[in-house]
Amino acid sequence: MPDIISAEHLSKSYGAKKAVDDLNLQIKKGEFFGFLGPNGAGKTTTIRMLTGILKPDNGKIAIDGHPSEDKQQIAKIIGVIPESRGFYDWMTAVEYLGFFSDLYGIAGEEKDDRIASLLSEVDLLKRKNSRIGTYSRGMRQRLGLARALVNNPQILFLDEPTLGLDPQGQEDIQILLKKLSARGVTVFLSSHMLNEVSNLCSRIGIINGGKLIAEGTVDELREKTKLNKDKTLTDIFLHLTRNNP
Amino acid sequence: MLTHIWKKEIRGELYTWKSMLWLVIASLLFSFTSYLLLTNAELSLLDQTELMWLLGKIIIGVALLIVTIDASSIITTEFEKETAESLFLAPVSLKDFILGKLFASLTLWAAIFVVSIPYILVASAGSGLGLAFMGYVALLGTIGVIGFIFLIFGISLLYRSSKNTITTALIILLAFATPALFTSTLKNDIVSQVFSAANPIDNMFNSLDNVLVDYKTSLIDNWQFLLPLVVFCMIAFAILFLSAKRFEKQGIVKND
Amino acid sequence: MKKTAIIYLFMVLIIGCGSARAQITGAPLLSMQILSSKTLSGTAGDFVTVEGQITNAGSKPLGDVTTYLSLMDNQNKLPVDLEDWSAEKGLYIGTIDAGQTLPLNWKIHFVKAGAYSLIIIAEAAGNDLPQVSAITQFNVSPKRNLNPGQVLPVALGTPIVLIFVLFMLSYKRRVDE
Repeated sequence: MPDIISAEHLSKSYGAKKAVDDLNLQIKKGEFFGFLGPNGAGKTTTIRMLTGILKPDNGKIAIDGHPSEDKQQIAKIIGVIPESRGFYDWMTAVEYLGFFSDLYGIAGEEKDDRIASLLSEVDLLKRKNSRIGTYSRGMRQRLGLARALVNNPQILFLDEPTLGLDPQGQEDIQILLKKLSARGVTVFLSSHMLNEVSNLCSRIGIINGGKLIAEGTVDELREKTKLNKDKTLTDIFLHLTRNNP
Repeated sequence: MLTHIWKKEIRGELYTWKSMLWLVIASLLFSFTSYLLLTNAELSLLDQTELMWLLGKIIIGVALLIVTIDASSIITTEFEKETAESLFLAPVSLKDFILGKLFASLTLWAAIFVVSIPYILVASAGSGLGLAFMGYVALLGTIGVIGFIFLIFGISLLYRSSKNTITTALIILLAFATPALFTSTLKNDIVSQVFSAANPIDNMFNSLDNVLVDYKTSLIDNWQFLLPLVVFCMIAFAILFLSAKRFEKQGIVKND
Repeated sequence: MKKTAIIYLFMVLIIGCGSARAQITGAPLLSMQILSSKTLSGTAGDFVTVEGQITNAGSKPLGDVTTYLSLMDNQNKLPVDLEDWSAEKGLYIGTIDAGQTLPLNWKIHFVKAGAYSLIIIAEAAGNDLPQVSAITQFNVSPKRNLNPGQVLPVALGTPIVLIFVLFMLSYKRRVDE
């Protein structure tokens, strides 16, 4: 299986602070990759570099074979829930998804069908004509996911997609992500919810201090830490991050 | 791509009433001015062309002020409301983004100009200068507004904050507008004359004066005012270009 | 009234001084006349030609002769900046032979209604003081093409239409929601 996401020797500094330091990452097509790290470890910076929002200081990125300079081409094949969660509050969900469909060049019947199916998928059909400003946090998160899917992406980058959601909201998103993964979409999930990552992801990468300190399946990570089989991903994560500051 | 951004801005401005409120404010100012000029016993003694010149200055001045305030937030709100990241994650280039916003701001100017047309017609009735008056308000206003929008967008990409952008933009507008209101007798020294020749607002007002008071309506007769205006636009564009380059280097997200 | 008298007195003094100086020094005399004084009055916005003449009444030719128009606003008791009134404030004549009379023409634009006083001033090489013509007075009547009655429907109608559109948008928004 070819690598759909490839990052080699990726570095980014903010002033004197190294946010990402010589990061190497290869993700295969169709993989559900979990990206873990403590606050300020460099997760969001990595996602922003991979999605073309931020230029790396050093290193090479290729998304489905396209170099990071080919931003327009990359934008067409990726869907992103970014860290910043702003919406045009005066728009309705239909108008919002319609606007983003226009930006991706989706028009006519295809656009209407896509919007209807996405709204149904994220359970917002009943409120499709309400202003986004009247939505709850969970509804906004779901709408954000619908926007990320509007171009039918091959790769989905998710930066804390369930942050601030109640357990029901978290489960709804997780079910949706499982469905997408089953359809062959490659998912890059950054989250603090270790249970969520453990349930969903086929492979996990752990970043700390801008460096990728470990990578593999949960079992491989457990083996690496030499922890007992009953230890959870939380124990593995804490062990790795404490021993690799 | 830019048309979608343009349409989105127009819809947003209409939904939030922002543009409509600006248009109502502009029309109230034009109403007050034209009513006062035409009915006040002393002001109505002014020659008609002088009155038209005063009205023209007010139309351009009000439009510049409104467009400056509006354009100061049209880009920066995308950063402040955290919508810029989602927008740039779609296949939207910085050029499309800027052009879409530019057309939206120009639409506001066009709307203000349309609102001013009845006032222009009433003030110029019988003078034989109605078309020239309208044409020059449109031409001078459009060039001036484009220059100021370039400048404001350049500042917006630099600051990414509405408050800082609007403060700087208003200071620049005032710096140009205040000397333009002085009479020519106060501009006898070389410094004032050089500043006046380069000042876009001075050039807009002087060109209107040339057309309405001196009846010099051809473009050739006004080149000495139009040329500095075009140069101002080019300088403003250069500032925007440099600011956009810096923005692209920094990325959508300034700091983490 | 008092101010006008002072201004006229000042202008008469200039004329007087010019003549007196010419007589005292015995320098050649330039005399200017405004010929179109009867046709000068008009309406604001009109273009008229000020026709005049200059005569070298002396016995020697005069070089570097330049003539100027000077205009006084009688109502506001202020000299008028001729910037908008005439493209050519000064006319360079050059040399005038003794006894020679030359025509003078200025095309002026009546910018503003009012009562005005006009004089021609001439300067020549060798003369310390300028020579001044007699004062010609004329009136510019206001151009009353404006119909103040037209402004009311526009001044009231335009904001009302816009406010109506604003309310319609607000209504549509509420219905949509």
